[in-house]
Amino acid sequence: MSAAPASTRPLRRSPINAAYGAAADRLFVREDMAQPRPLERTVASDAAVVLTEMSWRRRFGLKGPAAETWLALRGFCAPSPANSWAVAEGVLVARLATSEFLVEALEAGQTRVGEAAQQLYAGDCLPGAYPVPRQDLVIRLQGAALNELLRQTCSVDFVPLTRLLAGDAGPLVLTSMMGVGVVAIPRELSGQRELTLWVEPSFAHYFWTTLLTVVADFGGGVQLDRPHGV
Amino acid sequence: MMRLPPVAGEWIDRAVPVAFSFEGRAVSGFEGDTISSALAAGGVRVIGRSFKYHRPRGLLSFANHDVNALMQVEAGGRSIPNVRADVTPVQPGWRIAAVNTRGGLAADRLAFLDRLGRFLPVGFYYKAFHGKQLFPHWERMFRNLTGLGRVDPKAPQRATAKRYDFCDVLVIGAGPSGLSAALAAAEGGADVLMVDENRAAGGSAQYARGGASQPTAAVDRLIGSVAAEARVRTLLGGCAAGYYADHWVPVVTTAAIVKVRARAVVLAQGASEQPAVFRGNDLPGVMLASAAQRLIYRYAVAPARRIAVLAANAEGYAAALDAQSHGIEVAAVLDLRSAVGPRTQLYREQLLQSGVRVVNCVRPVEAIAGSGGCITRLEFTASSGRESVDIDGLWMSVGFAPLTGLLHQAGGTVRYDSGAEQFVPDSLPAGTYACGKLVGAYTLEERLEDGSDAGRAAAAGLGTAARRDARPRPAAAECSNHAYPVFRHPNGKEFIDFDEDLHIRDVENACQEGFDSSELLKRFSTMGMGPSQGKHSNLNALRILARVRGESLAQHSMTTARPMFHPVSMSHLAGRGFVPERRTPIDPEHAALGAVWMPAGNWRRAEYYARDGQTREQAIAAEVQAVRGAVGLIDVGTLGKIEAHGPCAGEFLDRLYTGRLSNLKAGTTRYGLMVDETGVVIDDGVIARLGPECFYFTTTTGNSATLFREFGRLAAWWGMPVGLVNLTGHYAAFNLAGPASRAVLASLTDLNLDDAAFPYLAVREAHIAGIACRLLRVGFVGELGYEIHAPAEFGIELWRVILRAGRTRGIRPFGVEAQRMLRLEKGHLIVGQDTDGVTNALEINAAWAVKMDKPYFIGQRSLATLARRPPRQTLVGFRLAAGAALRPRESNLIIDRGRIAGRVTSVGLSPTLGHLIGLALVDPAVGAAGKLSVRIDSGAQIVAEVVRTPFYDPLGERQRQKETA
Repeated sequence: MSAAPASTRPLRRSPINAAYGAAADRLFVREDMAQPRPLERTVASDAAVVLTEMSWRRRFGLKGPAAETWLALRGFCAPSPANSWAVAEGVLVARLATSEFLVEALEAGQTRVGEAAQQLYAGDCLPGAYPVPRQDLVIRLQGAALNELLRQTCSVDFVPLTRLLAGDAGPLVLTSMMGVGVVAIPRELSGQRELTLWVEPSFAHYFWTTLLTVVADFGGGVQLDRPHGV
Repeated sequence: MMRLPPVAGEWIDRAVPVAFSFEGRAVSGFEGDTISSALAAGGVRVIGRSFKYHRPRGLLSFANHDVNALMQVEAGGRSIPNVRADVTPVQPGWRIAAVNTRGGLAADRLAFLDRLGRFLPVGFYYKAFHGKQLFPHWERMFRNLTGLGRVDPKAPQRATAKRYDFCDVLVIGAGPSGLSAALAAAEGGADVLMVDENRAAGGSAQYARGGASQPTAAVDRLIGSVAAEARVRTLLGGCAAGYYADHWVPVVTTAAIVKVRARAVVLAQGASEQPAVFRGNDLPGVMLASAAQRLIYRYAVAPARRIAVLAANAEGYAAALDAQSHGIEVAAVLDLRSAVGPRTQLYREQLLQSGVRVVNCVRPVEAIAGSGGCITRLEFTASSGRESVDIDGLWMSVGFAPLTGLLHQAGGTVRYDSGAEQFVPDSLPAGTYACGKLVGAYTLEERLEDGSDAGRAAAAGLGTAARRDARPRPAAAECSNHAYPVFRHPNGKEFIDFDEDLHIRDVENACQEGFDSSELLKRFSTMGMGPSQGKHSNLNALRILARVRGESLAQHSMTTARPMFHPVSMSHLAGRGFVPERRTPIDPEHAALGAVWMPAGNWRRAEYYARDGQTREQAIAAEVQAVRGAVGLIDVGTLGKIEAHGPCAGEFLDRLYTGRLSNLKAGTTRYGLMVDETGVVIDDGVIARLGPECFYFTTTTGNSATLFREFGRLAAWWGMPVGLVNLTGHYAAFNLAGPASRAVLASLTDLNLDDAAFPYLAVREAHIAGIACRLLRVGFVGELGYEIHAPAEFGIELWRVILRAGRTRGIRPFGVEAQRMLRLEKGHLIVGQDTDGVTNALEINAAWAVKMDKPYFIGQRSLATLARRPPRQTLVGFRLAAGAALRPRESNLIIDRGRIAGRVTSVGLSPTLGHLIGLALVDPAVGAAGKLSVRIDSGAQIVAEVVRTPFYDPLGERQRQKETA
């Protein structure tokens, strides 16, 4: 599918655009994605559990035997083991299986990832590598009660995984949370543990609203991720 | 009042009184009291009525097992049934009543049933009540007579959170052996979770003190060591209620079920004390000795003033000393045995020195009730002849049954150890260990050693500690279990199962009728099916069964207690509901347009869009007319959307679908039909070829996830290097259909939409309003139409742009119901609606979509076989005259000469044609006759005319429309 010129491309929409109902009456824009600005359930950053929607980040998926080569040619460093991730120069590269990758710009890498995605979707690909569109709902979870939240929503024990974190690399989990398949990446930044989830967008509304219900039991809620504008 | 002076280690807070009512009478307890202990402290001895005979009952086990101790609690505007009085802390203001009475506990009008016992033998209802008509009457009557609590249908829904927990070693039971196991496993390097259903650790060591004022120092030290061990977490008040594969154990707490996944499990939950079976053993005041000890030491309650102990082990003598040390007069210790062992001897001498009479070779004859229904006397025989003793309490200590329910569920087996007179583990699955009373270790020293061995072995099994063989356990110096504590009385009422009111004669009768194994006996008699789940009854029932059959216990086995091993409240089992619902990216737009929702698989879809002044039927008809006359837009984002990449993608699709797809030209699409190995239709869709090695295809809404998984499996199975990408949720999709659709689309894109450039069944990639899209020119609804697929994040924008562009041409969004009618007018089937689990491709007139000359496709061989046989059924179209008063509905039967000859699969009033049309799967001969007799819901039969499909635009000219409207 060819890519449209950036100037004519309309705003993207968050997968949870309607999840707040009446509360989603204002939008903020980040990396050309319009996202709801919640008026309810917003909490301080030190709340027991804090959800932050990160769907605005640029990302793409890539699959096939030549996928790793394609990434390497564009300077993306893929981690070796299956089900692992690494961050380099502000870009997360996650190996979801032996030859499937998720690439996402964390902060600095927005332009680089955006350009690579455009090339990929424009057909600039190697034989044996093909794009995997990723329109995921992306949620970052933080807070002191994070582990308890996970224990109420997922059958995977994340505690041993966090022991395997090594700087900007670590393991990831493909599992089910609240009945929905997710990619889950634990990370530790400045001594604070966080977990980022990628959720298939058709489940986004269910996942977000249900998770908020559970989080509310812990006194947690939502925090905005530094909006660029309203 | 039966409250004792403060007792070391008591669980109550005497500074906080708790006032409540029981059966309308004011009662007072202390914070920490359970309902049962507070009632006992208040001198309430009759706390319930039995299930069947409505006999007065008191405390029996005081261990969370008895049906006698289930209560209806009114609190905070709620009425809660079956509250377990033995373990539920009583709260101020609660209004409590027994669950199974008519007119109250004291004056239960159903008490007369006790006198009808001889007419109500086990299984009487199987024989007494015949005739289907009256069965509902009898069923209602028995449910009223034998109920438990009353469910409050207005009770608010409570979302009870479930949670998971994880550990290396799960130790179930925090008695001496469990504590010892937990500590040893932790010292072996394992992360340990220890759970116990009680509020405090220590188990029986805390209350079976043998008259000592303090709990055993060794156990106190052990509790301290465990508390100080960082690797051990302790979960008290949690009952391990089941054991599933891979050491997955649900632990039921007050708040929720905790699903514990362990790498190894140590079973240390001990044994349940068993009653002796004799006439009157259910009278209030007759209780297990351990129940009495728990009342004394945990709640400082004297269960009676003057007691006798019916003993067959050292534990009974210890209980007598416990009673004596708290001012309870011990009238006698009545030992079933002729001789005692060294453990008993120590206690016996203390009792004799204090003047307690000890009698051996005792056979209880009958417990006699006074006017209040409670025990006042026990009659028994001994070597000296028949005697009696006046008492207000009889404590039974004749043996234990190991709690093997979880062991069985884990896959372990047991054998009967005649030395220990109990079942002991014979084999245990990998990663499961047992210790303590469960394996026949009863002295404190044995239990500590045994637990330590089990904990060490569990850690060693994980590789966290060096393996060391367990010490061989020497034979016990004295057995704690009597071999046959059962004493028949000519007048019966020697209760075995207190939950179900079963006595010796019931077991004998069941056996006589051929229900002569533990499993058959259980089903016929309901033995062990009550709230205690046989914890007090199964072993004695088995003893009697073996005795009746002249066999040893070793020839019988215990029944397997299914999970949950212990009753669990429904709210806990339900937990917080996680029911995923899928929504398309356009979902909020539908809501704004007045969508009426319907479920489609796990998706939410717009059935139709409500308009002021229009009924449902009118709104749907208007949507159909908009598509036929102008242009409509429907959200088809729920379709499965899959890409197949690679040089053999075409061959792969050839194997999946009945048609040939490998020869599809790039830029074109083709209908695809999918069948299973038996030729049964399972799915259909449109396959588009985007490039030499790239196909994009759709599946039906409900099948997308299942099929995607299956495609991956088949690619691996066939060894075909096909790359599959599931875009279902990542892409929005609409169908813009109607004669004006081309004009609407033309205003939004630079793509040449002329028929020559973009013909029917072609696929193109283009920008619409700046959004990269895939456009498939298809005709499911029978009009010129375009399926438009685009990344989900642009879905809303695209939907709005198209609606805006179509406004001047009368565009109208349409829902699933309008689409169903539109495709019905075209005679297009819906897989799953016009087919069922046995409909093959040849029966739906789809032979044109089946290419039998391909080398292989799934179901090919079956279809070849089916093609040689006459069809079993065929899909036909039918119509009814305009204005027909009676209308068939989907699933109405087609009747031919009194037999079922098919069914209606789709039917509706066509807004376009003005009459009813439908599809039916029918016997081919009936279809060929030209008339269908349809039996409608009322039972009337109406005649429909069989007609050729499509009903509308039979030549398909509209969907191939070349000129712009």
